[in-house]
Amino acid sequence: MATNRSGASQRPNGAPQTKVCQFKLVLLGESAVGKSSLVLRFVKGQFHEYQESTIGAAFLTQTVCLDDTTVKFEIWDTAGQERYHSLAPMYYRGAQAAIVVYDITNQDTFGRAKNWVKELQRQASPSIVIALAGNKSDLAAKRMVEFDEAQAYADENGLLFMETSAKTAMNVNDIFLAIANKLPKSEGAGGGSAAGARRLADGEQPRSSACCK
Amino acid sequence: MRDNNEEKFIFAACTYFAKNHPGETCGSNGLPLTPSSISILGRAQRLLTIQHPNLCTYLDIIRGKHERIIVVTEVFGKSLEEWKSKFSFDEVTNIGLQISKAMLFLHKQDIVHRTLADGNILLDGSGRVKLFNYGMYYMTGGGSDVPFPLGLPRYLSPETILNGGGPAADIWTFGIILLELCIGKLWQNLKPGPILRRILTLVHAANPAERIAREHDCFEAYKLVSDHLRNIIEKCLKIYPSERATFEEVVEELSQANVKTVVDVKKPRGLMGCKLQYLYHWWQLTGGDIQAELKKNGLIKNSPPILSMPIAILLDGCTIGGKRGALFDRRIAKYSLDLLKARLSHIPPQDFYPLMHERRRDYDAVALPKIIRERDTEYQFYRLLWFQRLLIGYPYTAQYIRAEAEIDIPPLVRGDVWAALLGVKGDIEEQYERIDKETPTPTDRQIDVDIPRCHQYCWLLCGSAGHRTLKRLLKAWLLTNPQYVYWQGLDSLTAPFLYLNFCNEARAFACLSAFVPKFLHKFFLKDNSAVIKEYLAKFWQMAAFHEPELATHLHEINFVPELFAIPWFLTMFSHVFPLHKIVHLWDALLVEGPALPLFMGVGILRQLKDTLLDSGFNECILLFSDLPEIDIGECVKESIEMCRSSPKSISYRRFTNEPEVKDPMDIVEIPMEVLLSEISPRISMSDFFSLTCQDKCCVVDIRSNLLYEKSCIEGSVNVPYSGVQLGQRDLRALGLNAHRALRHAVTHKNTIVIASAEDETAQLFSDYLVKCNVPRVCILYGGISALQSHVPSLFIVPIKKTGSK
Ligand SMILES: Nc1nc2c(ncn2[C@@H]2O[C@H](COP(=O)(O)OP(=O)(O)OP(=O)(O)O)[C@@H](O)[C@H]2O)c(=O)[nH]1
Ligand SMILES: [Mg+2]
Repeated sequence: MATNRSGASQRPNGAPQTKVCQFKLVLLGESAVGKSSLVLRFVKGQFHEYQESTIGAAFLTQTVCLDDTTVKFEIWDTAGQERYHSLAPMYYRGAQAAIVVYDITNQDTFGRAKNWVKELQRQASPSIVIALAGNKSDLAAKRMVEFDEAQAYADENGLLFMETSAKTAMNVNDIFLAIANKLPKSEGAGGGSAAGARRLADGEQPRSSACCK
Repeated sequence: MRDNNEEKFIFAACTYFAKNHPGETCGSNGLPLTPSSISILGRAQRLLTIQHPNLCTYLDIIRGKHERIIVVTEVFGKSLEEWKSKFSFDEVTNIGLQISKAMLFLHKQDIVHRTLADGNILLDGSGRVKLFNYGMYYMTGGGSDVPFPLGLPRYLSPETILNGGGPAADIWTFGIILLELCIGKLWQNLKPGPILRRILTLVHAANPAERIAREHDCFEAYKLVSDHLRNIIEKCLKIYPSERATFEEVVEELSQANVKTVVDVKKPRGLMGCKLQYLYHWWQLTGGDIQAELKKNGLIKNSPPILSMPIAILLDGCTIGGKRGALFDRRIAKYSLDLLKARLSHIPPQDFYPLMHERRRDYDAVALPKIIRERDTEYQFYRLLWFQRLLIGYPYTAQYIRAEAEIDIPPLVRGDVWAALLGVKGDIEEQYERIDKETPTPTDRQIDVDIPRCHQYCWLLCGSAGHRTLKRLLKAWLLTNPQYVYWQGLDSLTAPFLYLNFCNEARAFACLSAFVPKFLHKFFLKDNSAVIKEYLAKFWQMAAFHEPELATHLHEINFVPELFAIPWFLTMFSHVFPLHKIVHLWDALLVEGPALPLFMGVGILRQLKDTLLDSGFNECILLFSDLPEIDIGECVKESIEMCRSSPKSISYRRFTNEPEVKDPMDIVEIPMEVLLSEISPRISMSDFFSLTCQDKCCVVDIRSNLLYEKSCIEGSVNVPYSGVQLGQRDLRALGLNAHRALRHAVTHKNTIVIASAEDETAQLFSDYLVKCNVPRVCILYGGISALQSHVPSLFIVPIKKTGSK
């Protein structure tokens, strides 16, 4: 079980050879499945029962340390309501990673998550790392989506998969770490089609073109 | 006659604890259960609106620590419990009539009293009766939110004791009260258990009233009671609730008795003649403290926490032991107005009755920030009385209300004033009533998940009463606006109206319905992308107009408003600020009109300017994802200043509810693609003309020297575009003349108008000026040629000066 602390960002002191990689990560999923809550848990170690709904999108960053690399996530937390769908490409375009979230107590949100996965496979960069998060695992008593069903779907589509709980912090750091581990970190590996990295609009500064420094 | 002591206290407080939920249980949605105190507060809001001559007005319901509830209400006279004298039958009839009028009123509102007792019936020397704290049963959800039983045993009806009972139980209690008034207190020396048993044995009695009288050895006395009264008592004390009289009948019968009614009391003048709610409000502003008095009187005791700790906690979270007010504490603390009277003693009597045609006094306080004015007793005294007058005259006083609201709005009447500013009038209840707010729709799911996340720090909105009402409002609005759909954020937008009109749902709805067309026309269309795009583009232009340096920086780091400002405008900031800030923003919005929000956006940027200028893309966007503290007072002031000093046409938007602009002199509309690419706004010819007349603009003519010399706008400077080096961000490069003219314009806050023969050069040149940090740059709509054909009188043939470039 993941610890509650968000201290993953502490850099080991005096490790000058550490590589620093930046990745753009986007959270997608139906409204109220807990996207903002997952980010808040990961970035600040907090959980707000009454987390406000997200309009448009919110942006946060968090750094995690792997053995020899420091990975900085630039996280776009998007609005879940279907109506805001048209804004989504602005955020997932050029993202190297995505977490598609559903709520284990609501079957419809799982269906919506599948649609997001499809859309990412079609429209996002082909090398994007996608993770599927079945959130609110603390409400297992009200479960409507079986673990095995989601796991099978994830396997079929080559997705990382975990059941998480923003409330208890279960698997929250872990899912981000798993993504960090899976992301290519060698020079140039993040390049290619992901070169658009953090580009939000055409004509952005070249600083955004490489993911590793 | 009333004695002085009676007049001294005008309100009172009592306090009790709400029930604790056992353990940390969650509702089915995984969210924590609403604390009982919140539910109580939500229901009690309705009590605050009840006005009746025989009911003590509720003034406030406060939530203290540890689920404590404090109820503040009007008080007067003495309770029947305290009146030791015996009443004549006429007096009993009089008292009974007033009680039953109050009860009839409550029952008509579907409020059951249940706790009617001699201790909460107040009577003054002139024979007036008022019921005190009659809403306990109502506010506590029929007693389910409190850990103690409601009602005194001797007043409970048999069916209530057996755990049932509706409104008819109140009739029983009323009968007992009348009986007590006639033959004296009942079951005086018995413990609750035996009293309840006695009442239950009445079930077998044919005539319970007689039986009670006999039990008390008062049968003779009872027979002496007038037939009329006895008859009523017996109609009330029927075992079967369905056989009992109703208050309607009781009022009817008691009215026939024709006893001399209440002594007329002249309505007091001066301070004591003011609305009780106002008095309470001013008293608080003077430093009146309800809790302190309760503590002083021992009604709130601070016992060491260890004493109230439970002895054991079971695994399911239930606790055993640990004391916490087992029974309802019926004591009350009374408050005098001495503090307030002293504070306002120097106010001349005529000031209590302001006249509309009189010139208003200027108060020193106007110079202070609004939040301070809102806490100033004397200032609020004058403001409230004045607004009260104006509001009585609404809608005829609409324009005065607007003018006063421009100064500030007293928080106590903000709901009324907003409704007036939005032009709400007519039979709004009737209209609201007719809307179907219940039938499920596909949008319900989204509304259901959004409401528990909407301004939940506010205890009014976080309770189930708040949730239900918000949902009804949203559904009603969607139903009456079929052209629109539910966008997340509509909940936040509705919240301020609900907050201010918590017990006036129809008015909350009417306000929302008037607000959207005025400020958010077409924003909630299914496809609103063009509307939002235009709005954001306009916002960005206003930023460039007033804050060129910041705008340039943000442009350069590609920080576009789409990334952060959608929630600002879609919800008119109600999704980004807490309610206490929104009300101040909206106070200004409602007075200034739909252009203001654009400048409020700029005002926010301006407050963060230093940080933003030092930040790159990531830091900037982080800043907006977690907006730092914004000084709303300052933001409002600056934005109004910007809004008023900007030519009206520069903030023109196509998607508004305003009548279409027809006069070519006023037109500034350009195709959307052009708008999206322009950094500086366009100014209409008529705005330009009026600026010229006031000598408040500097015209930069960027046509070629040749054209300029043929004919030019009087007073303009010529900077031929072909000679400008866009890379060189230094005004001096434009030549001495132009540099001096622009500097002059900047220092005098004049507007700089680019006049050109074609749009493209005008755009590029305005861009350039913005990059040189020149504020207040705009482009003349239609350029030189349009102006020449519409206002030829502005043109002259320049006198050739040697050396002028
Ligand atoms: N029990 C439980 N509740 C959760 C969990 N995560 C989130 N919630 C609750 O679910 C609700 C919605 O969470 P948000 O984080 O706002 O959901 P979202 O996906 O960001 O929603 P949108 O912003 O509307 O797209 C909130 O009331 C949270 O408190 C969880 O792991 N367990
Ligand atoms: Mg969210």
